[in-house]
Amino acid sequence: MDVGFILSNAIVLACIYGTLAIGLSITWSSVGLINLGYGFIFALSGYGAWLASQYISTNGVVVLTAGVLTGALGGLLVCALAFIPIHDKPNFTVRGLIATLAISLIGTQALLYFFGPRSKNLPDIFGFWKVNVAGIVLTSDKIGNVVVSIVVVTAVLLWMRSSRRGLEIRAMMMNPHAASIVGIGVRKTGFYVMAITGGLAGLAAVLLSQTYYISPFGGLAPMIKGVSIALCGGLGSVRGAVIAAIILGLNEALTARLLGGQYVLITQFLLIILILLVRPRGIAGILDRAREA
Amino acid sequence: MTGHIWRNPLYFWGVEGAEKEVPSIPHKSPQDVWDETTASKAKMLPVGRLRYYYKWPGHGGLTWPRFRYWGTRRRALNIRSVYNPKTMRLEKTIVDKRPIWWVLGLLAFMLAPLAMPASFQNTLLTAGATFSIYAAINLCWMLIIGTAGIYSLASYAVVGAAAFGTSWLSINLGLPWWTLPLVGAGVGLVFGMIIAVPAIRLDGFYYALLTIGLNELCRVYALQSKQFGSSTGGLYGADTYIPQGWDQYDQSLLAYYACFGVMLAGLALYRFIDGRRLGRILKMAPEKREAFAEATGVDFRRARIWVFVISSIGLGFIGGFYAAHYRGVSFSIFSFDTVLLGLAMLVIGGIGRAEGAVVGTAIVILLDKVLLSTGPLRLILIGLIMLGVVLFLKGGLFGIKAQFRAWRDKKKSERRSMRAEKGGEMLPEEATETKDKDLLYWRRYDKMQREFLKTVISPELIEEHRKKPLGQHSEPLERLLLYFRRAPQNDKYAIVAVEPFKAYRIVALSGQRGVAPRIVEDKIYTSTDEAYHGVFLRRVQDLLES
Repeated sequence: MDVGFILSNAIVLACIYGTLAIGLSITWSSVGLINLGYGFIFALSGYGAWLASQYISTNGVVVLTAGVLTGALGGLLVCALAFIPIHDKPNFTVRGLIATLAISLIGTQALLYFFGPRSKNLPDIFGFWKVNVAGIVLTSDKIGNVVVSIVVVTAVLLWMRSSRRGLEIRAMMMNPHAASIVGIGVRKTGFYVMAITGGLAGLAAVLLSQTYYISPFGGLAPMIKGVSIALCGGLGSVRGAVIAAIILGLNEALTARLLGGQYVLITQFLLIILILLVRPRGIAGILDRAREA
Repeated sequence: MTGHIWRNPLYFWGVEGAEKEVPSIPHKSPQDVWDETTASKAKMLPVGRLRYYYKWPGHGGLTWPRFRYWGTRRRALNIRSVYNPKTMRLEKTIVDKRPIWWVLGLLAFMLAPLAMPASFQNTLLTAGATFSIYAAINLCWMLIIGTAGIYSLASYAVVGAAAFGTSWLSINLGLPWWTLPLVGAGVGLVFGMIIAVPAIRLDGFYYALLTIGLNELCRVYALQSKQFGSSTGGLYGADTYIPQGWDQYDQSLLAYYACFGVMLAGLALYRFIDGRRLGRILKMAPEKREAFAEATGVDFRRARIWVFVISSIGLGFIGGFYAAHYRGVSFSIFSFDTVLLGLAMLVIGGIGRAEGAVVGTAIVILLDKVLLSTGPLRLILIGLIMLGVVLFLKGGLFGIKAQFRAWRDKKKSERRSMRAEKGGEMLPEEATETKDKDLLYWRRYDKMQREFLKTVISPELIEEHRKKPLGQHSEPLERLLLYFRRAPQNDKYAIVAVEPFKAYRIVALSGQRGVAPRIVEDKIYTSTDEAYHGVFLRRVQDLLES
């Protein structure tokens, strides 16, 4: 077990979990919903990609697109069930949290019911080749994962920065009330946001399934990783999520190297608790004042 | 209307200018307007207007010496007894009937084994024992989620940690069963301290997400470690309180009642935390209102740590009992679905009430056990119920009553505001704000008077006034003029002599000393009578327009 292998692994995982964390973070900051149904969307899009690879084509682009589209669909479903009916009711944040948990319970059990407990695996969408860079062997899936996740997340962030819809979403992040006063529809924007973040979850699901299998409950661990990163970076901040993803990835690599694999979660949570005790809103958390208003 | 005539009584006294007969209108009674206005137009619905309480008879001598719990001023039932001033009888009302329902329900649960059909006896006794344990766990959890309002999802992690710890100790060190709950309480205490530390700094969702992570951490750690039985799916072989020599039925019965005892202890703990000082402090300092609590001198941080410690000790105790009951523990206690089902129990029953925790647990356990053969479908059903409750109910099943009442009151007040008559009378909001309540009645009366006088105005009266502005008039005209003369000084019309006996003009008084009247129109009247009639016409017009 050499350092390069661990480091490259950590970078790959950080990219994928960072994608999830950015999705969670955008959801919370723009529509004010803690989407704990994210694990379900993750698993659902994994199955969507699997179905596409079974019945349409095993071409990498098709599988990836199918996963992203299923994820977006899952996001729309969660939005229609947990955001639209209660977003203007009292106590929305708590009720939304519980509603997404209920969706997660229903959804994962439904997946179990339809697809059975046996896990599925996706074809290698990036082919199978190797590159040797300075003594570190990089396989095709690692390079593909890193490149695709960085490209897609950058594209989403650029889109949010430069397009009309992105402007609407950012306006919602700053102040939902004022945004609705100047004519930005809360429900419409909610659907956009949930579709995009669902698509990010779908992307992460397909990418992660290059390493792990797809199972009904497989979304939980990635979601908890994503939530931890989003928490640590500060809910609502993309930059914070990136920093937190790097820190936690490093921690994972170092712990696995120095202490052993079973201590990864323990050190990770100790680190998160430590960071949150110093900065209760995360590394870059700034948004809560605006959200409370 | 035609041909109605007013006979002038002054004519027979030979008063100058008095005509014998003047055309007029038939008599109209002012009573009609009064009757119409004061009649109630509210739609009387047959039910739901008052809360109904049965009135128990009472004896005066027994009003005050009531049963009270020793050492406190608390009574078993909150009974209000008052004398009805009309019947002169004492009427006793049970204000809060919940204790009665609790006693009946717990009695029914206690006597249930007698009524169980023999074929299902074993299943039902096992389900009852499971229900009691989960109800006890949920009651302790409710102290954190409901009373303190902190969304901690790590309660099952505490239970599981205590159960795993005590099972391991019992297997490896041979601890007897009766020490397991006590040791478990110690483990819970340590765990509670650990999870209470972030709760001081973090709020709301950060804490909820962190505790989900802690739960997952426990699961992964237990799964990976050899000494916690990663190969067998759990840790089994702990000492148990159930004597192995008894036959199956007696064992189940003992387990049933032992678990029932644990649930009663959980209820007592809930009652003693939630209903007393600590609970009240926590409930007055929920999330986002800490600043107010701090300003009033409440140390909410200390209270939160206390409630974490106490409920964690309770959860640890239950965890130890769990190990002694099932002779061990499996990894499923740490799984995310267990947390979700537990949360479903609380949410379905209603967060913040003991009955919510217990009844919600009963519903979910019943669905879980009865529909066991349907596999994942039963969990989907439970999830759907949970989703429906969250989307449509504010406080779970036990909040339906309050929610319905609030909805009905809203509808009532909507109808009330639709009924309120505008103009003359005040709006309900205005009426509660004004200091002088006499004003309300004056305006109402004034409005009735104006409505009546509007019906009286007719060409005959105007003609009568034109002929003779001063002096005795017919009855309806006299009423009209009396009303006009009684108007307040503010904006009252008056006549000013531009040139005596030649030119008059109408002005309106300002109603304030030192402020000159304003001129109303440019028209010049050549005589006083003409000017009087001009004022009359203006007033009539104002009345008709009001």
